[in-house]
Amino acid sequence: MSGLLEIQRLSKSFDTTKVINDFSMEVVEGTVCCLVGPNGAGKTTTMDLITGRIKPTSGKIIFANEDITAKHEHLIARAGIGRKFQVPAVLRDMSVRQNLEVAYSRQTNPFRNLLKFHKPGLTAKLDEVATLAGLTGRLKERAGILSHGETQWLEIGMVLMQEPRLLLMDEPIAGMTESEIEKTARIFKDLRKSATLLVVEHDMGFVREIADVVVVMHMGSLLAQGSIQEIEADLRVRDVYLGEQEVA
Amino acid sequence: MDLGSLLNALILGVSIASIWLIAALGLTIIYGTAGVINMAHGELIMLGAYSSYMLQFYLGLPYLLCLPASFVVVALVGLALERGLIRYLYSRPLDTLLATYGVSLVLMQGVRLIFGSDPKYLAVPEIFQSNVMLGSVSVSAFRIVVLLVTVLLVLALWLLFYKTRFGVQVRAVMQNKEMAAAFGINSGRIYMLTFALGAGLAGVAGALFGVLAIVLPTMGASYVVQAFLMVVVGGGSLAGSVVASGVTGEMQSVFAFFTNDTLARFIIFVLIVAFLRFRPQGLFAQSGARR
Amino acid sequence: MGNLYHNKIAQWVVYVAFFAALAIIPNMVGDSFLLNQFATYCVYGMLALSISLCWGFGGILNLGQGIAFGLGAYGMAMTMQMQSQTESNPIPPFMLNNSLDYLPLLWQPFQSTLLGLILAVTVPTLFCAAFGGIMFRARVSGPFFAIMTLAMLSAFYTIILDRQAYTGGVNGLTPPSAFQFAGVEVDPYSPTAYWVVLFFLTGATFLAKLITQSSFGLVTQAIRDDSERVRFLGYSVAGYETVIYTISGLIAAVAGCCWVMLVQYVSPAQMDVGFSLSIVIWAAIGGRHSLLGSILGALIIQGAQSYLGDTFLATWLLILGGFFIVVVRFLPNGLASLLEVALGLLARPDPTSSPAPDGGRPLPAE
Ligand SMILES: Nc1ncnc2c1ncn2[C@@H]1O[C@H](COP(=O)(O)OP(=O)(O)O)[C@@H](O)[C@H]1O
Ligand SMILES: [Mg+2]
Repeated sequence: MSGLLEIQRLSKSFDTTKVINDFSMEVVEGTVCCLVGPNGAGKTTTMDLITGRIKPTSGKIIFANEDITAKHEHLIARAGIGRKFQVPAVLRDMSVRQNLEVAYSRQTNPFRNLLKFHKPGLTAKLDEVATLAGLTGRLKERAGILSHGETQWLEIGMVLMQEPRLLLMDEPIAGMTESEIEKTARIFKDLRKSATLLVVEHDMGFVREIADVVVVMHMGSLLAQGSIQEIEADLRVRDVYLGEQEVA
Repeated sequence: MDLGSLLNALILGVSIASIWLIAALGLTIIYGTAGVINMAHGELIMLGAYSSYMLQFYLGLPYLLCLPASFVVVALVGLALERGLIRYLYSRPLDTLLATYGVSLVLMQGVRLIFGSDPKYLAVPEIFQSNVMLGSVSVSAFRIVVLLVTVLLVLALWLLFYKTRFGVQVRAVMQNKEMAAAFGINSGRIYMLTFALGAGLAGVAGALFGVLAIVLPTMGASYVVQAFLMVVVGGGSLAGSVVASGVTGEMQSVFAFFTNDTLARFIIFVLIVAFLRFRPQGLFAQSGARR
Repeated sequence: MGNLYHNKIAQWVVYVAFFAALAIIPNMVGDSFLLNQFATYCVYGMLALSISLCWGFGGILNLGQGIAFGLGAYGMAMTMQMQSQTESNPIPPFMLNNSLDYLPLLWQPFQSTLLGLILAVTVPTLFCAAFGGIMFRARVSGPFFAIMTLAMLSAFYTIILDRQAYTGGVNGLTPPSAFQFAGVEVDPYSPTAYWVVLFFLTGATFLAKLITQSSFGLVTQAIRDDSERVRFLGYSVAGYETVIYTISGLIAAVAGCCWVMLVQYVSPAQMDVGFSLSIVIWAAIGGRHSLLGSILGALIIQGAQSYLGDTFLATWLLILGGFFIVVVRFLPNGLASLLEVALGLLARPDPTSSPAPDGGRPLPAE
């Protein structure tokens, strides 16, 4: 069985530094895959490459049997990849409701949207996501005034509004409280029924909780791949990654 | 087609290039360092012309001394402008553009109210009024003065930016303001000084343009768009502006040789738009360029 | 109760009231010269509206709106010029003065009034679509786009100046008689001309208002906020920017046609950098985020300018420049934001009694 997302021999250099180096991995449909690795390993850069924000020096990215390597950001998003950024990126001057509404992007054609005032299915979806993200009481607020945790939730909510097939989550629980982390884990496991997740996370407790597969990156390359038990038993991973965790 | 007159066109092109370059120098410094699009640059040029006029008319200052004096006067105006307005707008590039356009209106109309709309003239030493033969071309001596002043200023700026401590600080601020601050460089002060320097350069340009053309409250408007395009095409660096002015100045002269001045300008505008479409960062993008 | 300023119904009420007030002007003003003046202010209002749509809502600062306005105006002037040429005398006098003894291809379509009108509106619109499309696709934005519009505007200015035999050069075009449509002459000093302009201003405003309240408007606002983020939601940022820029250009082109109908004149001055920038000033002072605020900005500033007359022009422009600086520095949404603040105070008459629901520290999510 082939993966929903396949990364094949991906490389990316900035000037002379090779940030991603012959990296391959795949994400199987309906699973939660965790991408871990020390700071600077190239996890965020990998997400940038998947979503088209930057273009690889070489290698290929296949999504749902389609080569998306050369595509523009918006086309990749339309193909069904949603992304939460590491530094939460919400539309700060707009209300929480408007943020969620914009993210509900079934219709993206500018002409079709020109005189469109009603989006079918929006209200129900918005209620559902707002409840899930715990933002029901904050819909009228300007997104710029939200706390860091709420901003994280809003961005997760935006990704859910997009109804993507593959959700990329870059450090989604940074800045969340213990109970919020538990809730996030619950939601992510729930999401697996309808979508596929690729999650970048440092918190091994959280990874243990949600991951079906763990992929370890180190200096832009694949270090190890397997179940959480296999990874935790892997000596090389202990060296480069778990060692670092103690420092951090 | 006659090769001799094409050569003439090329020689004239150098002169045009030097005029465009000196108009763009101050703007290059300000834009390159602080990312400020100073729409009042043309009016700073105009102020340079008027300060030369005043110094000559009221104090009888010889023309050659008017050049440095205009530099000082307009640099002070620039300093006041930066402290009073621009420094609040560094994080809002579009607003700086607009606010400086407001400044340009105020300066232009202020000067008009004080000096009236009738043209003023700058007196220059006799020898500058003659013509000089360059090969087969007769060029007005004053254009050679402009060329020389431009070359001197470019050299001085190059030394300032690449051979002094101030230059190191400026480049540090350009690349990374936060990092520079960590090394104890006060970026606010750097911005202030570069703005004053840029304004002063506009003052020198004005003192020269006041002789090339007549001194009028509206004289600045004709330089500002052209100067901007030089800066943007060059990418905001000194070398970029030199190359951009050189190339477009020659193009202007050669195209004008085959058609006429206005049509040549049109062609250059279109070429610039096309060029920037493919290279929005300009000829020589600065490392850590903002945009 | 929320701020009345943000109440959509209240907004529509104010818009309707505003246009109703403009509609009764012909009944109040007997002086036909004054009525013609009012109509030209409405044209300026249309221009400010177009900038408000593009810059205020779309975040695209356009310093070259004179391109669309000017092309529309030239198209209209060419149409009107050809209306006064006859079979026996098919060539406009200025061409003959420039020793052009045949009607150039560029002018031939304008022999038909309908075709001329269509071209006057579609050429600038298509230009905006092409220019905007190319620029936005290359991700030219912010101050860069503004400078590109300046460069393009200067290009048009110079070419029109240069091609004197085709454009009338610096003198421009002065069609000798009023615009005729379907056999009816539209006297520029008549209420009819005023109605025509008001019709277009009203139409453009309501269209713009609808657009800003549609899904398209929401996405456009999001792009203004953070265009980089919006791409990852699946929207083609370049597509949206091109559409809003083009609609704005269309409105300006219509304004150009109306303007020539009123003044029977067009020259490169309409494509001067200063004129395009003054449109931006109207919108900025009136309030660029508010369509109505921008229109009012144009009406007030241009009204005051012609009321004061040429004697005080320099003083007036000096004050205007100073005020513009103040607005950019302290009042990014212009005079409209003063109204917003005032209505906000009304909405919460006693701010001390209840803790501000949105001012304090946000509550945790759970
Ligand atoms: N635009 C860039 N230019 C140069 N180096 C970059 C750029 N983006 C990221 N890098 C470098 O790539 C490496 C990987 O970064 P990143 O993907 O953010 O790591 P992670 O998310 O795993 O912590 C880092 O060393 C970083 O400095
Ligand atoms: Mg990262």
